[in-house]
Amino acid sequence: MSNQQSLCRSPIALGTAIVLAIGWGLPAVAAEGLPYVYTDWKHFTVKDGLPNDHVFAVRVDGPRVWIGTEDGLACLDKRTGRIRSWKEKDGLPWRVVSGLDVDPKTGDLWIALFGGGLARFSGGRFDHWHQLNSGLVNDVVYGVAVENNNVWAATTAGASRYNTVTGEWTIFTEKNAPMEEIWNYAVTYADGKIYLGVWGSGVLEFDVATERWKDYLDPDREMEIDLYRDDGIVHVITTGTSFVDGILWVSSYFGMSRYDGRHWRGFYAHETGLPSDFGNAVKGRSATEAWFATDKGVGVLTDFATDTWVTYTMEPKTHKGRAVVSRGTKVLKVVDMERCLPHNYALWVEFDGNDVWVGTSKGLGWASGPDYYPGLKVEPIAGEEGESKNAARLAAAEAMKQSGVSSEDRPQ
Amino acid sequence: MGSRWIVAALSGLVLVPGTVALGQLRKPVYVGSEVCASCHAGPGFGHQFSRWLLSRHARAYAVLARPEAKLIAELSGIPEEPQESSMCLGCHATGAEVEEWEKDPSFHLEDGVQCEKCHGPGSEHVEAQRHLNRAAQLEAKMEIPTMDFCMACHAEKGSHVAVHQRPMLDMEAAWKEIAHPTPDEWSRAEPLGLPPPASEDAAQYVGSVACGACHRGPEMGYQWSRWKMSPHAHAYAALATAAARRIADEWGVAGDPQRNAECLRCHTTGWHDPAGGFADGFRLSEGVGCEACHGPGSEYVPEAIMRDPRAARLAGLREQSRETCLACHEKAHGKPFDYEKALAEIAHPTEPARQAGGPRYKTPLNMALRPDGQELYVACEASHTVIVIDVARRTKVAEIAVGGQPNDVTFSPDGRRAYVSNRLDDSVSVISVPARTVIAEIPVGDEPHGVLTDPTGRYLYVLNTLADSISVIDTESSTEVKRLSASRSPWSLALSPDGAQILVTNNLSRFVPFRTPSMSEVTVIDTERAVVENRVVVPAANLLQGVDWDPSGRFALITLNRTKNLVPMTRLLQGWTITNGLGIIWRDGRVDQVLLDEPGICFPDPADVAITPDGRLALVTSSGSNRVAVVDLRRLIGLLEEASHYEREHVFPNHLGKPTEFVIRHIPVSHSPRGVVITADSRTAFVANALDDSLTVIDLGRLEAVGRIDLGGPEVITQTRFGERVFHSAKVTFRRQFSCHSCHPDGHVDGLTYDIEPDGIGVSPVDNRTLRGILDTAPFKWEGTNPSLSRQCGPRLAVFFTRIDPFTPEELTALDRYICTIPRPPNRYRPLGAELTEAQRRGREVFYRTRTNDGRIIPKENRCATCHFPPLYTDRRQHDVGTKGPYDRESRFDTPHLNNIYDSAPYLHNGAAATLEEIWTRFNPYDQHGVTNDMTKDQLNDLVEYLKTL
Repeated sequence: MSNQQSLCRSPIALGTAIVLAIGWGLPAVAAEGLPYVYTDWKHFTVKDGLPNDHVFAVRVDGPRVWIGTEDGLACLDKRTGRIRSWKEKDGLPWRVVSGLDVDPKTGDLWIALFGGGLARFSGGRFDHWHQLNSGLVNDVVYGVAVENNNVWAATTAGASRYNTVTGEWTIFTEKNAPMEEIWNYAVTYADGKIYLGVWGSGVLEFDVATERWKDYLDPDREMEIDLYRDDGIVHVITTGTSFVDGILWVSSYFGMSRYDGRHWRGFYAHETGLPSDFGNAVKGRSATEAWFATDKGVGVLTDFATDTWVTYTMEPKTHKGRAVVSRGTKVLKVVDMERCLPHNYALWVEFDGNDVWVGTSKGLGWASGPDYYPGLKVEPIAGEEGESKNAARLAAAEAMKQSGVSSEDRPQ
Repeated sequence: MGSRWIVAALSGLVLVPGTVALGQLRKPVYVGSEVCASCHAGPGFGHQFSRWLLSRHARAYAVLARPEAKLIAELSGIPEEPQESSMCLGCHATGAEVEEWEKDPSFHLEDGVQCEKCHGPGSEHVEAQRHLNRAAQLEAKMEIPTMDFCMACHAEKGSHVAVHQRPMLDMEAAWKEIAHPTPDEWSRAEPLGLPPPASEDAAQYVGSVACGACHRGPEMGYQWSRWKMSPHAHAYAALATAAARRIADEWGVAGDPQRNAECLRCHTTGWHDPAGGFADGFRLSEGVGCEACHGPGSEYVPEAIMRDPRAARLAGLREQSRETCLACHEKAHGKPFDYEKALAEIAHPTEPARQAGGPRYKTPLNMALRPDGQELYVACEASHTVIVIDVARRTKVAEIAVGGQPNDVTFSPDGRRAYVSNRLDDSVSVISVPARTVIAEIPVGDEPHGVLTDPTGRYLYVLNTLADSISVIDTESSTEVKRLSASRSPWSLALSPDGAQILVTNNLSRFVPFRTPSMSEVTVIDTERAVVENRVVVPAANLLQGVDWDPSGRFALITLNRTKNLVPMTRLLQGWTITNGLGIIWRDGRVDQVLLDEPGICFPDPADVAITPDGRLALVTSSGSNRVAVVDLRRLIGLLEEASHYEREHVFPNHLGKPTEFVIRHIPVSHSPRGVVITADSRTAFVANALDDSLTVIDLGRLEAVGRIDLGGPEVITQTRFGERVFHSAKVTFRRQFSCHSCHPDGHVDGLTYDIEPDGIGVSPVDNRTLRGILDTAPFKWEGTNPSLSRQCGPRLAVFFTRIDPFTPEELTALDRYICTIPRPPNRYRPLGAELTEAQRRGREVFYRTRTNDGRIIPKENRCATCHFPPLYTDRRQHDVGTKGPYDRESRFDTPHLNNIYDSAPYLHNGAAATLEEIWTRFNPYDQHGVTNDMTKDQLNDLVEYLKTL
C-alpha cells in the first residue's frame, strides 16, 4: 500500500493534513474539525454487467441495489457481487429507467420509465401502467415515489397518484395544484409530505393528511440572477428534492437550496464546494449534510453550520479521483485517490448506511465508508505525507475552482 | 309545512335551492312531489298530484316490501333487502342513484316513482315558475318523457315475469292510465294551509314518513310499507276522484272536497284534532297516517321512548280502538263496515316478517382441522356459518354464525382462534375456538377466499379474490398492515413444511395479449418478510385452485385447467376444450403439468388437493364429476423424473393416457366435492360435498368412502338447488369434460375470450360474460341473438359448447332458475346512499354530459347515458360502436350492463380492452362509442371512477 493510498482511506490522515494546513496559514476554523471523505470507491459499468452505463437512478433495498439505466434495469446483490439485469426482451416494459423506489411494506420495486410510463417489479413480474391502459397522465415519467398505499409519478405533463388498493388514479396539474408549469422532474416522499420538483414551478409540497398544497418559488422571479439573496428557492427550474430531519434540500440547474421551515439558504459553485450550479439531483442525509449530483462532479455539504464541503470529481484524462475539502471558498484539503466517481456527470445519489452510491453517465460508483462519521471531527496528528506535496495540491485545487472544471467532463 | 320550497312558493321568499353545501350552487336538486303539488294539485290542474298519489307509481317503493319483491330480488341475484338495493330502487324510487345533497329536505325516497322520476329534478322548474321568468322557464323546461323512456324500467324483465306471471306491460294502456294532462284553462289554487294548533302544550303531528324511519324493514314487519299500500294512505287523494265528487254532491259540498273540513276530517291525519300542530315534514296528503290512530307523535317518536311501551303510552302513543275506527268508518257513505275484518286487513304487528324464499342450504366449501386434530371446521357458504365436526365421533357438534358467504377457514397455530373469510361481506370473522363465538370482524379486500396464518401466527394472509390482492393481517391487533399484489383472482394457499413459503394459486390467467394463450401464476410469499418473493408462471393453464405441499417440501401440487380458448370448440386435438389436471410446482420454481383426464372420461373441475402427511398419496376432488382421484405420488414423481425435458414440457401437459400411470383410484363422493383435508395420521380424509350439505369420510387405507357426515341441511331439493347441481355437473358435456362452473367460477367469469363456433380459427372471438344479475339483461350473447336464458343454455349450449344431448327440460328450467339466483355482490365503490367522491362526482358529469369540451352538442345517440341508463345501465339493444375487428362477423353488439363493471375485465365483445381506460384510449378512435376523444386525461380518469360506482 502506497502512502497516497493510505492517506486516501484514512480520515485520521485528513485530520493530520488539516493541522498541517493550519500551519501554512489556512483558516483557523479548521480547528473545528474535518468531514469524512470517501476514498474507497468501486465502479460498475457494462463490463461488470450493467445493461447500460448511463445510470439514471439507484435505490437500495437491503442487500439489493436497484439500478436504473438508459437501457435496462439492474440489480446488484451486495452479498454476492452479482448483477442481474432486465431489458425489454426480458420483460422490462420500456428501456429507459429514469426513477426507482421501493415500497417499504411490500418490497415491490416501482419503476419510472422515461417514455414508457410506470412499472412495478414484484416477485419477478413486471406490471405496466401507461397513458393508454391506465390513468397515468403521461408516459414520460421522470421520478417515482411510494407514499403509503399510493405511488406518485412525476411526469412531463403533471404528477399522477395511483392508489394501489383502490386502483384510483389522480392527476395533479395546473388545474388542481399550484403548478405554474406541469413538467415534473422529481418526486420524493418524507414525513407525510410529497415533494415535487417542477421545471419552472419550483418545489410543490403536498400534505398527505390534509391534501393541501404549498409552493416554494423563487420570490424575485428572476430567471437569470438570484436578485435577493436567500429569499427563497434559488430558481424555479428545480431538478430534485429531498426532505430529511425537517430540512428541505433542493437542486436546480442554477444552484441549490436548503430550507429549514423559516430560512432559505442558497448555494452556488462560486462560493461553495459545489462543482457546478447545474444540479441533476440532491439527496439529503441529515439536516446538515446533503449530496448534490451535478454535471461536474458531486458536491457534498458535509456540515451546514460551518459551510464545509467535500467535492468529488474524476480527472478526465487520468480517470483518477480527487476530493477537495473546503470551507466557503477556502480549500482546506485535497485528497487524491486512484478512483472516485466513474464520471463527473453525476445523475443520482443514494445512501446505503455508511456507504453512498452515485449514478453517473459512465457507470455506477459505490463509495464505501465503514468508518463514516457525520459532521466534523478533529483527529490527532499522525502525518504520513509531506507538507509541500499537499500544499501544491491545495494551490492546484484553488486554481481549478477559480477557473471551473473542464467541459470534457460532460457526457458525450 | 316541512318543505322550504312550499314555504317559498307560498310566501314568495327567495330561496335558491340547495345553496348550502360545498360552497357552491347546487342545482338541479330533487324537491319532492309535495313541492310539485304546490301548483299541480286541485281541480285547476286536473288533480295531477292526486292522480299520481292514487297510481301504482306512488306505491312503487312500498311494494318492494312484498314477498314477491323478495322472490324477484332472489331471481336477480340481489342479496340485499329490495328496499335497500340500488338495483330495485333504480326503478321503484326516484333519484335512487343521486347523492344526498341533490335532494331537498322535502324529498322522500319513499314516495316511489314520483313526478321527478320522469320529469327530472324539479328545483329549476320551480324556481323559474316562481319568478315567472319566461326565459328561465324555457331553460328549465321539465323533461317530457316518451314511451321509450318508460321502457327503461318497464321493458320485460325475466325476474318479474317469472314471479308475477303477467304478460308484458301494455304500454299504450299504461300510458293512458297515468295520463295527467294539464287543463287548457289551468288555474293554480293556493295550497291549503294546515289548521292552527289547538294547544301549544300538546304534542305535534310528525307525519308518517318520520314514523317510517324506524317502522320499516323486515325486522319491523314492513309496517310503513303496509300502511302505504293500504287505502288509508290514499284517503286524501281519493277526495279528488269522481266518486268523491259524487259523494260531495250528495252531501251538498260545493267546493273541492280536498278543501272541505268535513271531508278532511276523516280523509287526513289531525285535521279535526290539530293538537299541538304539525311539525316540519308533516304532509296532509299522506291521508290517514299512523298518527290518525296512534295520536300525534312528537313526544313518543324518539326511539328510546318507543322501545319502552309504558313511556310511549305516557308520551301520548294511543292504542288503536274500535272507537277510533268507527269514528270515521261507521256508516261512512253508506258502506258497511266490518270492524274485525278491517282490522285484520290493516294489521301491522311489530314483528319480523317471515323470511321469503325456500330452504336454507349449507353448501360446505372448505375445511380446516384444528391443530390438535379433534375438531374439523367447515365453512358453509349458503348458511353463512361454520359447522364444527367432532372428528372422532364424526358428527356435527356446533354451528357458528359468521359473515356472508364464508369460503375458507383456518386456525391460529395454537388452535385458539379460527379465521373465516366472508366472500359477500369482504371480511374475516375471528372465532374464539373455546367459546365458539365470533369475537371480531376484520375488513379485508373484495371477495376474500383463502385464509392462512404464517407458522408463528403473527400474520394472517387473506386472498382478496376480486381485488387481485392479498391482505396481510396482524393477528394481534386484527388490522391489515399491508396488501400484497397477487395475480388475478387469488384462490387458495398453502404453507410449506418448513414454514418459509406460502404458495398462492390464482384462478384467472394474467392478462395476456389478444389471442395468446393463458399464462397463470402461483404467487410465492416469503413468510419471514411477508413479501412476494417469486411468481411462478404456469403456461397455457388457468383456474389454478387447490394447492398443497408435499411433506418433503420439494414440491407442491396445484389443480388446474388447460382451456383451449383460442381454437374453435370443435377441435379434439390435445384433449378438446378444457382439459383438467395437476401442476407440480417445484421448490426452485420449475413447473410440470399432467392431466387427470383420461381418453374416455375426464376429471372435470379439479377443485382441491391434499397430500397425506406421509407423502404417499394426493387426493384431488372433481366437483364436476363427484369423484376424488387418488394419486400415487411416488409413481407421479417417478414418471416425471424419468421423462425427458421435451416430454415434460410438450407431451405430458396434454397426454390423456398418462393419468392411468399414477391415478390409482377414483372414489365416488357426493354432489360437487370441493375442499379436502387429511388427518395428521394419514388415515382419514374428509371431503366437503358442497351441494349435498355433507362430508364424505374416506378411509385412506382401504381407499374408499366409509361414511357420510350430515351437516344438517334441508332434506328437500328445490328447483334452484337442483339447478345449482346441474350448473356444477359435467354430466352434460362431451367426455364429461367441463361444467358451467368451469367457465363461470363463483357464477362470474374466467376472464377468457373464446373461439366458440366452427367458423374458422379466430373468427368471432367473444369475451366471457358474468352470470351475476344476468336474468334482466336479455337478450343474451354478444350479438344479442338469444332472447332467453332457456335458449342460451339450451339448444345453443348443446350445439356450440357441450356437444352432446342438451339438458332435459327439467334440468334446463332448474339451471336457468339457479343462474338467476347467483348473488350479485354489492358495489364496492359506492354502497347504497353513499356520497360520491369528488372524482366520481366529476365523472358523473362526464357520463351525463351533453356537450363536448368545446361546446359542441353531443348527439343524443352518442351520449353514455342514452344506452347505459340506470339501474342496469344497458338499453338491452345492439349497437355498432366501432369495435368490429377483422374477424368479427357482426358490427353491432349487445350493450353490456355496467353494474360492478370493475370486476369483469377484460372489456368489449372480444375482450380486447384489458382495462376500462383502453375502451376509449385504444378502441374508440372515431367517437362511435360515445364522444370521448375531446376529453382530457383527468376527465377520463373521473369517468372511470364513476363507472366503478354503477
